[in-house]
Amino acid sequence: MEEGTDLQGCLNPVWPCALTGAVTALSGFSGIAVVIHGSSGCYFYPATLLHNDLHSTFLVEQEVVFGSSERLSELVKELSPDYQKVAVVNSCVPSILGEDIRDILSEYTIIFIDTPGFTGDFESGYLGAVKGLPVTMGTGADGVNIEGINLIDPFARGNQREAERLLQLMGVPVGTIFCHDSYQSLNRAASFSITVNPDLHTGYGHEMGSLLGLSSIRKTVKTLADTFCNADTCGIENEVRVVEERITKAADKYLKRFDPPTVTIFSTCSYSGFAATTLKQYLDADILYCGSRNEPPRPSAKVIKVTSLATIQSAIREHSPDLVLGSTFERSVAGDAAFVALTPPVRGEFRLSSKPLAGTEGELSFMEDVLNACMDRQQRKSVK
Amino acid sequence: MSLNPSPLSTSRTGGCTLTGALAVTTGIKDSVTIIHGPSGCAHHNFSLLHATILDNDCMVIPSVISSAMSEYDVIFGGEEALLKVINETAAGNPGIIFVLSTCITETIGDDVLAVTRNAGVPVCMVPTGGFLGGDFETGFSHALIAVSNLANPMVKPGEYSRTDSRTVNLVGEKNLEYEVKENFLEIKRLLSLLDLAINLRFAHDISRSEIDRLPFASMNILREPALTAVGNHLQAAFGTPFINSFPLGISGTLSFIINVALVAGSPPEKALEAEKKYQEEVFKEFSDLRGARVRLKIPSGIQENLLIEEIFHKAGFIESPDGVLLPVPYPFPVGTNGMKRMLHLWRRALICRAV
Repeated sequence: MEEGTDLQGCLNPVWPCALTGAVTALSGFSGIAVVIHGSSGCYFYPATLLHNDLHSTFLVEQEVVFGSSERLSELVKELSPDYQKVAVVNSCVPSILGEDIRDILSEYTIIFIDTPGFTGDFESGYLGAVKGLPVTMGTGADGVNIEGINLIDPFARGNQREAERLLQLMGVPVGTIFCHDSYQSLNRAASFSITVNPDLHTGYGHEMGSLLGLSSIRKTVKTLADTFCNADTCGIENEVRVVEERITKAADKYLKRFDPPTVTIFSTCSYSGFAATTLKQYLDADILYCGSRNEPPRPSAKVIKVTSLATIQSAIREHSPDLVLGSTFERSVAGDAAFVALTPPVRGEFRLSSKPLAGTEGELSFMEDVLNACMDRQQRKSVK
Repeated sequence: MSLNPSPLSTSRTGGCTLTGALAVTTGIKDSVTIIHGPSGCAHHNFSLLHATILDNDCMVIPSVISSAMSEYDVIFGGEEALLKVINETAAGNPGIIFVLSTCITETIGDDVLAVTRNAGVPVCMVPTGGFLGGDFETGFSHALIAVSNLANPMVKPGEYSRTDSRTVNLVGEKNLEYEVKENFLEIKRLLSLLDLAINLRFAHDISRSEIDRLPFASMNILREPALTAVGNHLQAAFGTPFINSFPLGISGTLSFIINVALVAGSPPEKALEAEKKYQEEVFKEFSDLRGARVRLKIPSGIQENLLIEEIFHKAGFIESPDGVLLPVPYPFPVGTNGMKRMLHLWRRALICRAV
């Protein structure tokens, strides 16, 4: 079931716009005042999603008619003394008014990001904003940046901690964390980068690999060891082996009693790919449908872009999976299938700890959630 | 005179008209709402609605469709995209189609009204226009008025005796608030003291055909005074008198009973006596709070200071700058049972402090 430009593709959209992506990226850097140049409607959604201090020009009709320069200058002037940098993110209406924002704010050295909602999806806005950051790269093997931290991702905190832990285990210094760091950290970005979410590759630093999935971790560790001659890989290699054994043992126990689950997956492209590979590897799972919120980097019959709840609901109804992976949206249409949260937003449950998806702990945590959800469902079925 | 609106102007932070309008249109369960704008606008609002649905343990997902305007449509106009979506939506035969415009379509000058009029299928356009149309409350009121215009009563209002109906409409319940159900039950309880029943929850979980019942109630009870324009509209259209707010506070709840009884032509004494007795019982339950040293944290939107003061004194609190900070919920609790829940919150705050 492919989502086209038909009506179903427009029904109940489940993925945020470019503006939200840009604001998410910028608000991850302390010291940057993020100004949403638009109305309160454009402000409230990212503000409620991120729970960070965001600012807005809160435009009203008069400014659309007579120009918004005075209002914008007034706000930037007010914020400038308290922050190291002010970043202005343009929303739909001011982007077509034709005002030259850089010229209006010429007396300030601002970051200006022109990614109004109609230009694309969350990822395009996030990456557009990252490209607009004043990043200064180091030279040589000075450390490794961590990429792919996205503050609306339920795994953001956990992924960051896990990546930092693994690099520390290898004795490799951490460079800049995109996007959850200080503004000063942009002056000391390293020449190399690893990622916890390959969909959000920034282009800063030579790409050394991903920490999403054990096979990726192995490859990435090897690449890092080739570059950082003092890197200690024994600890991680051993950890990967132990994790693999633990998951295999648990999965074997499950498979002794139950058939492999049939699965539908709905997430961003990398997370969907990770989930599909991991479930096939350990549980011989039958992946019935693999949906991606963002455009897959290469056209693929295996991963289909889907952003409408109607299409998602149809796919779940058509395939009747044992297990659904996705966000709160998918959970609401999952019926009696087991459900595991993989994609933002995750609402209606308490998430207090810093769960990762990346790294060895991420692999353990993911499979733990899957096995427990599948076991719970089997028990529910047996009670019926 | 400066035309420049103050930076502190409340209209700046009043939210989006779309969200306000959607809070009404998605309350009509067999409707489809088309948002003419980029898909991000529909997502932001749908995500909010979905979160509310989850919080309220309701799993009926409203249908919100975006015309998914792209950069191309912004440059060349989005009317064609809108018409296509209207026609495709109509093919699904929904109870009613609503069309809401966004700030970007208002700015580029799409004639949304003309598109809906010429669509060849029944469509109800709600004037929104994102922030160009006002704020959340404007969108909410405009939508209630637009939806009320759909009412097509089978009996002519003049031939119907409202006072005999012994029913009331609840107008403009805040469908996005967490305690919408509890507030409804409280009003229902208070009305039952006067032997009145509810004719229609306008517009909460009703179907298109139920809107036709709108004129047949002896009165409309508005959720809050901000909806007075809606009350006036309904009075002009159907001759229905209105009470301008749900009951708030101790004496406010008692006045509500008196006002409703007056409009309904019922004697209020018995109901008043029962409610006063119940209020005494509630405060007796919280007699352990008497003498507690507290201070209040009143949200900026709360304007019911006198009501809070009344509860404060009735509960026997002592105001003190170093007292325990008690939060006042927003929106302000409805009726006696709303007050009771607030007192539970306050007791918990006092216990936490003591621990």
